[in-house]
Amino acid sequence: MIEIDVFRRPDGVAVVVPQGRLNMVAARQMKDLLAILLEEGSSRIVVDLDRTTFLDSSGLGALIGGLKGARQAGGDLRIARPTPEVLTVFQLTNMDKVLRPRDDVESAFDA
Amino acid sequence: MPDPTPDGLHLDQSMPTTPDAVDLAHEQLARLWAADGDVLPADRVRFELAVIEILGNIVEHAWIADEGSPSERRLTLALTLTDERLEAVLGDNGRPASIDLSSATMPGADAESGRGLALSLAAVDSLDYERVDGRNLWRIRCDRAPA
Repeated sequence: MIEIDVFRRPDGVAVVVPQGRLNMVAARQMKDLLAILLEEGSSRIVVDLDRTTFLDSSGLGALIGGLKGARQAGGDLRIARPTPEVLTVFQLTNMDKVLRPRDDVESAFDA
Repeated sequence: MPDPTPDGLHLDQSMPTTPDAVDLAHEQLARLWAADGDVLPADRVRFELAVIEILGNIVEHAWIADEGSPSERRLTLALTLTDERLEAVLGDNGRPASIDLSSATMPGADAESGRGLALSLAAVDSLDYERVDGRNLWRIRCDRAPA
């Protein structure tokens, strides 16, 4: 089961917080949510993974899809605060260098 | 609770053949970890990853939608935990898996799918597939790191 919170910061950045397991069931929900944000014009997105207890390849695919969509719209999708479980998946798939996880949400769009 | 035997802890479960199986598998794994708190987090993560990836692969590909009766579909998950290793056997009566584990490679960074098998292979110490008596059998083994 997963719960995904979304809030917008005053600077326009959308912060997405998936809480629970981002597996094949939740990945669809995540993908749809990111698509809606992009449709609404939010192309600067931070995904805060501090409370994501599990990530599989479909959850990773949803993040990559969101990243591509955000960049196509002139923005970006940044990953912040991955848990050790999530970081393991980034490393095993060599995506840590592409997704370049940030240490915190606030500064995820700095530099 | 898992059954303790001289060969370790065992958990056998008949699974739904829908994506609901994934959440049930997470619950089964949680029972295993609760029964033996000494399994290191790193070992839990890589084992759980492979189990969930293979299970997801079965649920998505073993049966063709609208073909055959859903009530005839069978999927089982057997988990074993010993002092030395973690093992899972996933069995299903779906169509033969058309895969070659020896050639499973990680797709490019842009790909949104196709990482499941390569990720599973990278995560655990062994992953084997065989077709036996009309069933697909997936065996996953993860050697436990010394505590």
